[in-house]
Amino acid sequence: MPDSDADDKRLRFESLALPFMQRLYNTALHLTGDAEEAADVLQETYLRAYRTFDNFRPGTNCRAWLFTILYSVFINRRNRARREVGPLPVEELEQRYHLFVEAPLDDSGDVDGWGKRWPREIEAALHALPEQFRAAVLMVDVEELSYEEAAATLGCPVGTVQSRLHRGRRLLFGALQEYARRTGYLRSVEP
Amino acid sequence: MTEPGRHPGDALQRLLDERLPPPQRAAVQAHLLRCGQCRRELDALRGVKAVVHEGLPEHPVPPEVAARISAALATQPSRGTRRLAAVAGLSLAAAAVLAIVLTRSFRPDIVADAVTAFTTAGAPGVALQIETSDPRAVERLFADRGLPFSPRIFDFGMMGYRLNGGGVHRIGNRVSALLAYIGPDGKRVVCQMFRGTASELPPPAEEREHGGIRFRIYRSAGLTLVFWQEGPIMCVLVADGDPEAAIQLAYAKAVIV
Repeated sequence: MPDSDADDKRLRFESLALPFMQRLYNTALHLTGDAEEAADVLQETYLRAYRTFDNFRPGTNCRAWLFTILYSVFINRRNRARREVGPLPVEELEQRYHLFVEAPLDDSGDVDGWGKRWPREIEAALHALPEQFRAAVLMVDVEELSYEEAAATLGCPVGTVQSRLHRGRRLLFGALQEYARRTGYLRSVEP
Repeated sequence: MTEPGRHPGDALQRLLDERLPPPQRAAVQAHLLRCGQCRRELDALRGVKAVVHEGLPEHPVPPEVAARISAALATQPSRGTRRLAAVAGLSLAAAAVLAIVLTRSFRPDIVADAVTAFTTAGAPGVALQIETSDPRAVERLFADRGLPFSPRIFDFGMMGYRLNGGGVHRIGNRVSALLAYIGPDGKRVVCQMFRGTASELPPPAEEREHGGIRFRIYRSAGLTLVFWQEGPIMCVLVADGDPEAAIQLAYAKAVIV
């Protein structure tokens, strides 16, 4: 039995927020690319969320609220540490994407079925995207936030989310082409 | 609308994400029937979306990390002393001492809380308690919610910012009055007022004096935070965009009490 308002608050917080720990941890991991840093981001997110839990309106989207705090914590720590995952050569990836799109129709393989075959490569390609594109892809494609929720989480307009997502997907496609070609999913697309 | 012969570009992604209104959707679909290049582009976008959604490996939270977070939450200062005594097997007096020590070691981070308030005010999950441009309506809300002081409702109209609403929030483990403003080009300003003193703040990035008032300036997560004291009330203004503009907004509204 809770013996005070504070205990009641903590129980409410834990029942609402802790079920999202796995999702938040994975997002932190993909944003930071480092397990230790992800753990620190996760902990700071929960402590900050708890401190400001009175600001959360019951019945609204707790998950999006937590992602917003997590991203704010990540940006804050990243700015302090001046650390960034090494990005892929963006222009080269764009070129690969356009080569694929503009290739003669019967010159490529099927994009369907790329899915579950190369989890490590997908993760490596995602981690190597420039942060702003990686964050948009994570929020919309992985966490399935709406454009509006992602915009609030990332602190930018909806149109910016849309353009970052588009660019992020194109770059990821370019990065994954190499694996696809090697495993026979794409035939003749060369950068 | 998609014109015959013109590629729909970004609209392909909006079609994929089901964000196109019906007339535009029909036009893009008609274009796709006759354009192999756009079909391939849609295939590529669809494929990569599915790859990331289905193929990204899932990492379990390490048990020691979950335990660390649970322990950190348990030592947050709002936890009841009696419960702390029960958990720690201590007398109430010993638990009270421990609670003070823990409270000090977990001194609230007012600057971080102000950043969080900015990033979440009006965001999903933390809608403003009232959305209005009427300052009197916000004052009534503060009175109805039992705010223990009467905050000034800043008017930034001359600077192109209009009041968007407000609410009773928390900052640094205490109650605050929050005011949100929307400015030119969607720029935002969030102000909070709360009982506190400058001694509770960490060292600022910059300090300035203007009109006999000392302003403490912080920069975090691309935001500018300006703190100043008005009698027993601490005010903070948080803004995105030009840092100097944020400081000028604070200069314009700060008064000596």
